[in-house]
Amino acid sequence: MDPVIATYPDFPWLTLLLVLPLVGSLLCWMHRHQPEDCRWYALVVTLAVFILSVWMFAATPQSGQRWFLYEDVAWIERFGIRYTLGLDGLSLLMVVLTAFLQVIAVLISWPVKKHAPLFFVILMVMETGVLGVFLALDLVLFYIFWEVMLIPMFLLIGIWGYKRRVYASIKFFLYTLAGSLLMLIGIIALYWLHGQQTGVYTFALTALQQTRLSDSESFWLYGAFLIAFIIKVPLVPFHTWLPDAHTEAPTAGSLDLAGLLLKTGAYAMLRFGFSLFPETAQKSLPLLATLALIGIFHAAWVAYLQKDAKRLIAYSSVSHLGLVIVGFAAWNVTALEGSILLMVAHGVTTGALFVLIAMLEARTTTRNLDELGGLWHCAPALSAFLLFFSLSSLGLPGLGNFAGEILILFGTFKSHPLWAVLAICGVVFSAAYTLRMVRRTIWGPQGKLAVCHDLDVREYLVLVPMAIVLLWIGLYPETFLAPLHETAASILNDTEAARLAGGGR
Amino acid sequence: MSLHELIALMPVLILALGSTVILMLGAWYPRWRILLGAGIAVALAAALWAGVSEPPVDEIAALYSAGPYARFFTVAWSLLAALVLLLSLRYGEERRFDGGVYCSLVLFAGAGMSLLSAASSLVGIFLGLEAYTLVLYILIAFDRESPSGAEAGLKYLVLGAIATGFMAFGIGLVYVGAGTFHLPEAFSAALVDGHLRAYALLGWVMLLVAIGFKISLVPFHLWTPDVYQGAPAPVGSLLATGSKGAVAAALVTLCLGMEPYIADIASLLWLLAAVTMLVGTVQALVQSNLKRMLAYSSVVHMGYLLIGVLAVGAEGGGAVVFYVVTYSFATLGSFAVIVSFSHAGGEPQDYGDIQGLGYRYAFRSAVLSVFLISLAGLPPTAGFIGKFGIFAAAIRADMLGLALIGILASLVSVYYYLRVIIIMYMANVEPNHALHPGCRPEYAVLFVCIAAVFFAGVLPGPLLDLIGTIVK
Repeated sequence: MDPVIATYPDFPWLTLLLVLPLVGSLLCWMHRHQPEDCRWYALVVTLAVFILSVWMFAATPQSGQRWFLYEDVAWIERFGIRYTLGLDGLSLLMVVLTAFLQVIAVLISWPVKKHAPLFFVILMVMETGVLGVFLALDLVLFYIFWEVMLIPMFLLIGIWGYKRRVYASIKFFLYTLAGSLLMLIGIIALYWLHGQQTGVYTFALTALQQTRLSDSESFWLYGAFLIAFIIKVPLVPFHTWLPDAHTEAPTAGSLDLAGLLLKTGAYAMLRFGFSLFPETAQKSLPLLATLALIGIFHAAWVAYLQKDAKRLIAYSSVSHLGLVIVGFAAWNVTALEGSILLMVAHGVTTGALFVLIAMLEARTTTRNLDELGGLWHCAPALSAFLLFFSLSSLGLPGLGNFAGEILILFGTFKSHPLWAVLAICGVVFSAAYTLRMVRRTIWGPQGKLAVCHDLDVREYLVLVPMAIVLLWIGLYPETFLAPLHETAASILNDTEAARLAGGGR
Repeated sequence: MSLHELIALMPVLILALGSTVILMLGAWYPRWRILLGAGIAVALAAALWAGVSEPPVDEIAALYSAGPYARFFTVAWSLLAALVLLLSLRYGEERRFDGGVYCSLVLFAGAGMSLLSAASSLVGIFLGLEAYTLVLYILIAFDRESPSGAEAGLKYLVLGAIATGFMAFGIGLVYVGAGTFHLPEAFSAALVDGHLRAYALLGWVMLLVAIGFKISLVPFHLWTPDVYQGAPAPVGSLLATGSKGAVAAALVTLCLGMEPYIADIASLLWLLAAVTMLVGTVQALVQSNLKRMLAYSSVVHMGYLLIGVLAVGAEGGGAVVFYVVTYSFATLGSFAVIVSFSHAGGEPQDYGDIQGLGYRYAFRSAVLSVFLISLAGLPPTAGFIGKFGIFAAAIRADMLGLALIGILASLVSVYYYLRVIIIMYMANVEPNHALHPGCRPEYAVLFVCIAAVFFAGVLPGPLLDLIGTIVK
């Protein structure tokens, strides 16, 4: 137990978490004529957020409280909107992941020259948005943060992206917005139904969970929520925005997209989708699993055929997130914990791969696998890292992804052996495309090469922490699972209890 | 008219008399800046009076209400007149506008809009509407150097005259049906078996046509883009915000008055709202001129407003008023950015003119982006709360279909708003010619608008509560 957070439980620590990046972006904006200062501000602020989040992680009590930290203030009383933030094990892991990846994003964006101040402003605003999504417990507040993430990402892709950046950014924006507007209708409808039943008009998650819904109401409302989340995760057939957005985004953008934005979809499914409509959600699990399994294979196949390394990794994300959703669909504690762990590990692994591809491109001026090769002679350390993260991505025991995958498979096997068997095949596929990428870049005849130098200090600073985290998750996942045990159980139990009670059908 | 009634009418009298005085003053002492300063002072005085003093009577000559609803809008439109004058400072000076005339016309428009929003009788609506429409005919064509201004003025005049005809005839028919001009009796008296009498219904439809012209509902919207494009940008801002908002305020009064019987015209309103949102959206998509895009965007926004008007029983009235406020600030701000970029030679309004502005004029491009995002209805700006209120009222009133059309329209609308942002930030070209660096008064207007957009987006509570108490 850490004394400070525990001693002042009333201090709005969570708000501090959200405000820090905003302060940082304001500082950056005010010093926009000194671009060099901006990145330092960004680094200091993201580090501060990271330290704060790790501190929270360390201070996590194991005492069976539902929420480790909780803030609740009336906000827009006329509509019954409250400013409610809550931190439990699930959001805690996501917050730490966000804070960690954001530091990495700042570090890898160090050389950005084009409109650097704006770049860091946007990066920090996005951090607030993502953290808010992971903390909000009021549906409108959640929706607001959900949307606040969009515009920074749109700008990030559109301004600093590659050749087809404008197309990709628009596609990303409209795709996600379509889903979230449907969700908004769903939120308002749920609010209205709840208000009619109880006379209390509120958007609080805990209250809305008690709403009694008929089968058809529940079906449509859950559908409206689910589409928004599925687009974000993304599951087949709503994944087509992802390869474009990932490929065209600048490295920090790809990192944030893969590492964080996709996680918000899966997180929201768990936090809002399942808990608001437990019975319908239960019925939808086979559908989710089917879509996820199709996604695992489809994306793996498409990834195998890619020439662009970045696009290959983008598709691998779809495949991995499919596995995460299979874990959700298995609906037991083991699989759920595995899914959440895989979300964290995938964020770090895939983020690292995007970073490495960017470093590779800086040296070879290409991402085309046909033109690459023989990198080991010139940059052994970089190649070694690429190999390391690729192995993690394909699920080598001892590295991060494996820990999550094996838990998912154990859990799924208990309830749905067939899903587990199919999912294992999917993991084999991922070995195929990942190894193909590694072979084409590191080994083989010498490919295109512009400059030949190995990693510099900043690049080590980026990669080493990520590697340590993956090793940690892989070798001793209990550190990360400990805060999850209770949360995972309570997510399942709450939902189960609500289902049995017949409330919130 | 008793003394009490005069006192209650004081804010409007300040505007109207102040306008006359400034007109006279301008003839002898044609100093643009001083006249403009006097105009701003008059407008602020009117706003202060309306905001602070409690009127001794509730109604003035059975024409205008003096209640909180009326006072709210009087404050709003007086402040708008002040902001528009402030915005015109450099713009009018460079174009050698006649200070006395310009100032008095803007103030008079403020008076007319205040009267319209305060109307509690059909005659009051007519008088208020005509008062400021007449003024706008002149203001739109005020820049004598600009040929498109004359064209726009003429267009507005012809269509405005037709709309006036419709309105007068419609009011006449309602009178025949009901035997009174006063609201809400004009409707309750026209009822037979719980339905509007045929005369009154016809009158209502004609009234709606006239209102449709004024707030540019499809299919009466065709003048909008041309007039916006041709009018001087500060006048455009007045036209896009106050002239529409005041009509919307009157529409809320009308519909609140006939709330139990709104079903008779609900299907018509429903259709108007749906067509307006869809057609406006599609046409906005293909624009390549900022002012024309804003024109079609205002068409779409009036469609959203109609949703709120239809849901007037389910707190839609308050939602409409809040929406008018949020829409007005964002639109005024967008026009203010155009004004601040303008040279004596012209206004940059083609998308080609604003290419790559984002980095050269960081502040103004950023605030324009925020205004557009607010118009698109994305959080954390005021536009989101506004749309939220409208859609919440729609769902409450069981109009899911209209809400879905609205959501669809706002999804597509994001594209044309984002397009401007894309052009400003993502085009890899340097702006080909230098735009005006802008001056302090213009920045002041921008600050007011941006502060309002964020404040109403993040802490809308106080404003919502205020509006909740004035709309009953």
